[in-house]
Amino acid sequence: MPHQCTGCGERFEDGSKEMLSGCPECGGNKFQFRPQGADVPEGPEEPKPTSEPLEPEPADDPQESSVAETVGRATTRVRDFVSGGDEPDPNAAWPDESDAAGNASDDGEIIDADARREAGTDTDTDAAEDAAQVNARSGLAAPEDVPDPDDATDASDEPPAAGGDPADASDGPPAADDDRVVSEPSDEDPDLAELREQLNDQFESIKIVEPGQYELNLMELYDREEYIIALQENGRYVIQVPDQWIGADVDDR
Amino acid sequence: MGLLTELRSSISRATSSLFAGSEPKRIGIYGPPNAGKTTLANRIARDWTGDAVGPESHVPHETRRARRKENVEIKRNGKSVTIDVVDTPGVTTKVDYKEFLEHDIEEDDAVRRSREATEGVAEAMHWLREDVDGVIYVLDSTEDPFTQVNTMLVGIIESQDLPVLIFANKIDLEEASVQRVSNAFPQHETVPLSALEGDNMDEVYDTIAEHFG
Repeated sequence: MPHQCTGCGERFEDGSKEMLSGCPECGGNKFQFRPQGADVPEGPEEPKPTSEPLEPEPADDPQESSVAETVGRATTRVRDFVSGGDEPDPNAAWPDESDAAGNASDDGEIIDADARREAGTDTDTDAAEDAAQVNARSGLAAPEDVPDPDDATDASDEPPAAGGDPADASDGPPAADDDRVVSEPSDEDPDLAELREQLNDQFESIKIVEPGQYELNLMELYDREEYIIALQENGRYVIQVPDQWIGADVDDR
Repeated sequence: MGLLTELRSSISRATSSLFAGSEPKRIGIYGPPNAGKTTLANRIARDWTGDAVGPESHVPHETRRARRKENVEIKRNGKSVTIDVVDTPGVTTKVDYKEFLEHDIEEDDAVRRSREATEGVAEAMHWLREDVDGVIYVLDSTEDPFTQVNTMLVGIIESQDLPVLIFANKIDLEEASVQRVSNAFPQHETVPLSALEGDNMDEVYDTIAEHFG
């Protein structure tokens, strides 16, 4: 039972795909990694473990916006910002807050939390927001940290480090945070395997690297019923299709 | 109309299976480029019919279309086996025209050859799927047999339950290692030979008759 929703406490097996699109119970997209044999609380995640490195934080509102959640949302938002997605989709998972507050104040709230982490006990929202944004803008360039827009829903499943690291680069504590919150590398394996499978499926039987250079997918060539009898200069194929495919048409004529 | 077509194809399938026993078995000669497939096909065809199958060359992908020599009757020990020999283009996962440039072929021609070779691989794979009853897998025994192409092709052949013989060719060359080939595919019978020099052809024909007869 390696993952647990920090929102409602729902548990997921390692490699579970359910959580990729958010917790089916509460819609939350923050999960805590629970190694085998670890002490697992029944209910929603107490802020304690994640707030450990962030001592000054819990004064806020422990039950509604645990640090893990807030940081997670900040991460998601910053990522969306970086990947050019302006749409408020990521907020959809948190209707209770984002709907009422609207985008602007939502931003403020999230960045606020992020910034306070960075600035220690600083509670000055505006100043903190600026600092966090500057950090986010300057530090988030690492390409591997930028998710595909298509994968926006999966983004939260990736290590919070992706969005948090650059911003956190200056302070130590969040590293410990990473260890605890959904950042196990194994967590990504199913995604990668899936992606690889997709790519393999997409790999056509003959790939034209450039005129005169070809890569061949032998299994695909072997598996397909139709048979490529000629390659055109423009990259098109001439294929011979099995009789059954055109049988009806031929008979109609 | 679709029904008619189905009926027609099922009748033709039934007819062909009815006479399958009397038809010569179609034996595909497969392997990577430059393993000596055409040299072997020519050797077999010349030995038993007097004709050649196709031109041999040191340039890889010289055979870019499958060629068939029908009704090759091989006589062994008072019995005779008739097979159709299909010489196929060398199978590979990459074709690059630059390979041909090294053999003094002009670029335009090299690009064309490359395209034809690619079509040839597609054709070879297609034949393997539908049109062969057995496979002679030819390897250059001076080369490392542990390649992706060899593993994949032999795997496909095995999955088809086709009878297969591994021919370790070019044993006339000093660097040849038949042992390496038979180690790579211990589940199949490996026959050493030099198709070019005609070495060990008796054993070759014995084994063909035994496996594909």
